[in-house]
Amino acid sequence: DDTVILRLGHSLDTQHTVHKAMVYLGQRLEQYSHGKMKVVIYPSSQLGSEREMVELLQIGSLAMTKVSASPLEGFAPEMKLFSIPYVFRDRDHFWRVLNSDLGMSLLKGVEKVRLKGLGYYDAGSRSFYTTDAPIHTPADLKGKKIRVLNSPTAVKTVQALGGAATPIAWGELYTALQQGVVDGAENNPPSYYLSRHYEISRYYSLDEHTSVPDVMLASLKVWNSLTEQQQQWLSMAMADSVEYQKKLWKQASDEALEAVKADGVEVIYPDKQAFRDAVKPFHDSFKGTEVGRIMQQVEAM
Amino acid sequence: MNVIIRLLDKVLSYALIAAMASILLVVSWQVISRYLLSDPSSVTEELARFLLIWIGMLGAVYAFRTHAHLGLDIVVDRMQPAKKHLVQIFVQLSVIVFCALVMVYGGAELMELTLDLNQISAALGIKMGFVYSILPITGGMICLYAIHNIGCILRGEEEGRH
Amino acid sequence: MEMTAIVLLVVFFALLVLSVPVSFAIGLATLATMVMSMDMTPAVTTMAQRMAGGLNSFALLAIPFFVLSGQIMGRGGIAKRLIECAMALIGALPGGLALVNVVSCMLFGAISGSAVAATSAIGSFMLPEMKKAGYDENFSAAVTAAASTTGLLIPPSNILIVYAIASGGVSIAALFMAGYLPGILVGLALMVICFIHAKRKGYATSARLPVKVVVEKVLAAVPSLFLIVLVIGGIIGGIFTATEAGAIAVFYSMLLSIGIYREVKWAEFPQLLLKAAETTSIVLLLIAASTAMSWLLSFENIPQTFSQFLLELSDNPIVILLLINLVLIVVGAFLDMTPAVLIFTPIFLPVAMQLGMSPLQFGIMMVLNLSIGLCSPPVGAVLFVTCAIAKTKLERIIKPLLPLYIAMFVVLMLVTYVPWISEVVPNMLGL
Ligand code: NA
Ligand code: NA
Repeated sequence: DDTVILRLGHSLDTQHTVHKAMVYLGQRLEQYSHGKMKVVIYPSSQLGSEREMVELLQIGSLAMTKVSASPLEGFAPEMKLFSIPYVFRDRDHFWRVLNSDLGMSLLKGVEKVRLKGLGYYDAGSRSFYTTDAPIHTPADLKGKKIRVLNSPTAVKTVQALGGAATPIAWGELYTALQQGVVDGAENNPPSYYLSRHYEISRYYSLDEHTSVPDVMLASLKVWNSLTEQQQQWLSMAMADSVEYQKKLWKQASDEALEAVKADGVEVIYPDKQAFRDAVKPFHDSFKGTEVGRIMQQVEAM
Repeated sequence: MNVIIRLLDKVLSYALIAAMASILLVVSWQVISRYLLSDPSSVTEELARFLLIWIGMLGAVYAFRTHAHLGLDIVVDRMQPAKKHLVQIFVQLSVIVFCALVMVYGGAELMELTLDLNQISAALGIKMGFVYSILPITGGMICLYAIHNIGCILRGEEEGRH
Repeated sequence: MEMTAIVLLVVFFALLVLSVPVSFAIGLATLATMVMSMDMTPAVTTMAQRMAGGLNSFALLAIPFFVLSGQIMGRGGIAKRLIECAMALIGALPGGLALVNVVSCMLFGAISGSAVAATSAIGSFMLPEMKKAGYDENFSAAVTAAASTTGLLIPPSNILIVYAIASGGVSIAALFMAGYLPGILVGLALMVICFIHAKRKGYATSARLPVKVVVEKVLAAVPSLFLIVLVIGGIIGGIFTATEAGAIAVFYSMLLSIGIYREVKWAEFPQLLLKAAETTSIVLLLIAASTAMSWLLSFENIPQTFSQFLLELSDNPIVILLLINLVLIVVGAFLDMTPAVLIFTPIFLPVAMQLGMSPLQFGIMMVLNLSIGLCSPPVGAVLFVTCAIAKTKLERIIKPLLPLYIAMFVVLMLVTYVPWISEVVPNMLGL
């Protein structure tokens, strides 16, 4: 029969809001297409890591994937923007930028590497959590080994704030925190909660240094094989899914914070200005680069 | 052919020894830089993983050369010599099919794709295509050894079985 | 879907029987199946990527390091002194060395949280020594494989963390505590088998030594024993991770055997590196090929289809739990542990919970079950490592493994039907 099946792989577990939003995407797509298009979801990195699944889209053996903007840097350097701390003033500013022409052109930018950017999902803001002592100011980070994502920008961010950036694989992090190989890590509230790292690291400082969105991608090869009508249905379903996920995220984020507080975690709301000041030299280091120009545009929005 | 094989043996051994020594130093440096110098290296974790891919593939060639890969010989051992030779040639051909299609062709496609699209590794910032280049290289090496093995089988020589 | 599963199995077993090395048989069977669902170019490119992806893992570094340090220990007199010490202590028991092997694997597996690391580390120095002492090498290899999986239940354990996250709500702390008793039970069950085996084979037991000699042997082993202190202490003290501990073990055993015992020369070192690379790569190629096969299985939804079919067979809780275990054992035969946990937790956990099983008990049951798979043919990382180290063949190690499987299966049944075993420790600690 002529049903189009889109295989969608991602690295999150089935509890995650993004997974639920993808299920919703599939339902909407079936409705729009009157059952002519279906999405099959492969959660939990069954088909590979985020970076590898992007490669599978380029190869053409997988139709869609979700990837954090951070590993996407390796494919599209301008995505680095999102890993730089405090480029956005607040959540409003963040979404204004994503929905602007600039945000759309960043998505469009991945087409030169055989990918089709379908939209952004909310992944909140990342904040520090530590095991032995709370973080109130950047000075509290001094000498602390903080686990970071495997990216130079993430390393430099933590270094700019005074911490010792330590890349450790996500799967080994719980044990590393427990045994004190690292003193802390950084992530958004739902990940801090769902990864159970709060069982070890009992201080969560909401300094919200970076806002790295999740990006939904399709293989350009697969996208081009769809009719214009089918492309339109997929775009519509994606738009619905994005709106749905935004609500879910807000809810999950609030619930995660409530849950860790109820468990006795000390949640700290530090003065962010001190952190912004600390990363100023890091921001200046981008002057004159492509990313620096994008940062200026963002600043002006 | 024999000259090529001997040269290949040498290159392979040196490359493996160098890669093993490097991976040992890289991971030790990771511990030292984090614990003794409190200035964690941000590239050692990725470098060690990439070295492991190289060791795995180069070592796979070496193990193929020394006939160390695990297999089930129980049925073939009971065959008559003529039939056994036929099966041995079939085994070498199967290995060639796999290595030529998946490692050489698939690996080269992957390497070309990642080089063309300029994919950069997260920590080291090197091109992923270089990391993947080991696939077609080692695939080709196994094919060469397999062809050499077929020659040995046809001439009735033992193929240097350990 | 059923068609792809059949093609995969037929091609795989046909090649295996014709003595194609297992890793290439897995690869070719995957290739034959893959081209049924996509074009040649994306199929082979994806496979190449999955092979590299399978090796792109920091945790796998434990294999080359512990294989290497094991070889240095064996060549350099460290293993000899350790074994003499252990023999002096419990050598008078039947199967003393085998018991030492089990306990070492449990200890090492417990701290490292990795069965592969435990097999590589313990197997590399115990197996040659057991052979010298007259033990059947295939039996020794089988014991090492089975015993090293206990460390996946005894905390810390990376696979339990993977499960906790896949289950979306189990406390890792509670899960860790839940693993102690089942892990120790498996170890004890294996020791019983070793004891019986040694009695039946009539392995020579050493005479009881005078206390003075025992003390001497223990003292002689102190520098070697310090390696264990260093590795365990370093991991617990947060100086290095279990994977990094491998590199530290290599340096310490080098220091000891080149510098102090002087039983290894610098000039031998490159050859040791090469040997370790060979042993390691046999395993790595198998892991690379299995990763490609795992990808295909997931892509075709074969595990899900298979389990649905089986679960429709009954609605009796006892039978369903048994069926779940059977599915997992079959799956474990082919699939590596991490993908198996990730794929089956969302499928089976809700079923088990409906039958009144706690997520805690289910996690322990699943990990114990898949531990059997780790050392069961045709695909099992631990099995591959032991065979490579023992230089034995898959078909030879199966027979001695059978009684050990039975011991593990008995504990598995206990864990499945007696919730107390998994829950008593966490309950006691109020977790
Ligand atoms: Na453990
Ligand atoms: Na298995």
